[in-house]
Amino acid sequence: MRADETSMARLMALSQQGDQRAYATLLAECQKWLARYYSRRIVPHHLDDLVQDTLLSLHRKRASYDPSRPFLPWLAAIARYRWVDHLRQFYRAAEDAFDDGFAAESEEPAIAARISLERMFTYLPPSQAEVIKLVKIGGLSIAEAASTSGQSESLVKVNIHRGLKKLAGLIEKA
Amino acid sequence: MLLKNDSLIEALVADLRPVKPLSFGLGMLAAAAGAALALAGVSIFAGLRADFLIGPHDPVFLISTGIFLMLGIAASVAVVGMSRPQVGSEHGGWVWAAAMAALLPLTAIVVWLFRPADSMSGNFVDHGTACLLAGCGFGIFVGAALTFWLRRGAPTSAALAGLLTGIAAGSLGTFAFSLHCTYNDIVHIGLWHGAVVAVSAAVGRLIIPTLVRW
Repeated sequence: MRADETSMARLMALSQQGDQRAYATLLAECQKWLARYYSRRIVPHHLDDLVQDTLLSLHRKRASYDPSRPFLPWLAAIARYRWVDHLRQFYRAAEDAFDDGFAAESEEPAIAARISLERMFTYLPPSQAEVIKLVKIGGLSIAEAASTSGQSESLVKVNIHRGLKKLAGLIEKA
Repeated sequence: MLLKNDSLIEALVADLRPVKPLSFGLGMLAAAAGAALALAGVSIFAGLRADFLIGPHDPVFLISTGIFLMLGIAASVAVVGMSRPQVGSEHGGWVWAAAMAALLPLTAIVVWLFRPADSMSGNFVDHGTACLLAGCGFGIFVGAALTFWLRRGAPTSAALAGLLTGIAAGSLGTFAFSLHCTYNDIVHIGLWHGAVVAVSAAVGRLIIPTLVRW
């Protein structure tokens, strides 16, 4: 059974008070949630690293969570920040298809859709979103992405650069 | 994968210490403390203008000082809000305050263009430069307080956080120094006091992101 928003918020509030049992439960739930959240948004062999990086950020920045506010939008902001950071740092090999599995699998689809990674792409021009998915997530080379998208190689590079810059400013956008 | 993550979770749990959640009120208190230090610095090292406590006050002085104060508060609210990330949060309120504050330099330019050239004496530049340097200097207290707060928090846009911290520092710095500056001329206030905000914003945008990335 998956922990819901209310119980995760309660566990986080207890964790901020130093409750180690609550924290262990919370981190285990967050690990599962993050694995689903990032699923198919990153090539599988980077998923573990990204989940770990995000758990570390959660730990370091746990004081920035306000216990009077919902927990998952806070966790999603941390997760999006790490994800965009990861996309900007690494090019990766093509390993998986891209779909909107997170929102479909969630028990709270309305909230999940608002905080999902796919949501961020809706704010990008289609030409930028397409090449970021092809190169940064799908792992295609610039030349392959140019051939697939019909954009020139230089335009692919420009669109990736502009798109990632824009994504970095959309982290808290619902 | 699970084993690797499980050991990480064990290590994080072992490292857990109680933390006090960052509250909005305490963040604003930090900004207010920075502004209070700037005001104290102005009153101790420069002195308050003679009419500040006894009046009568010039309307241009009152309006411009109030606008810089409001811009400083609006930018501080945005910075403190950014320290506590949340998908769905909006931090755009400061834009309206900035647009209103921009009327000061715009008005100054319009007045300046239609003013006789000989009215721009050497004093205009000398006093203006002094206000620019002092406003930026006293704003450092606010900038330091907000940067400290951002480092405790988790701003998701370091660039915007840096820019807004600079705007808050410049606005509250020039607000504090306005209580010393005896010039009520809109050209002086709009150009030189407005320049404090612009320079601080540029410095904040350049320097602060490196300090608050996580």
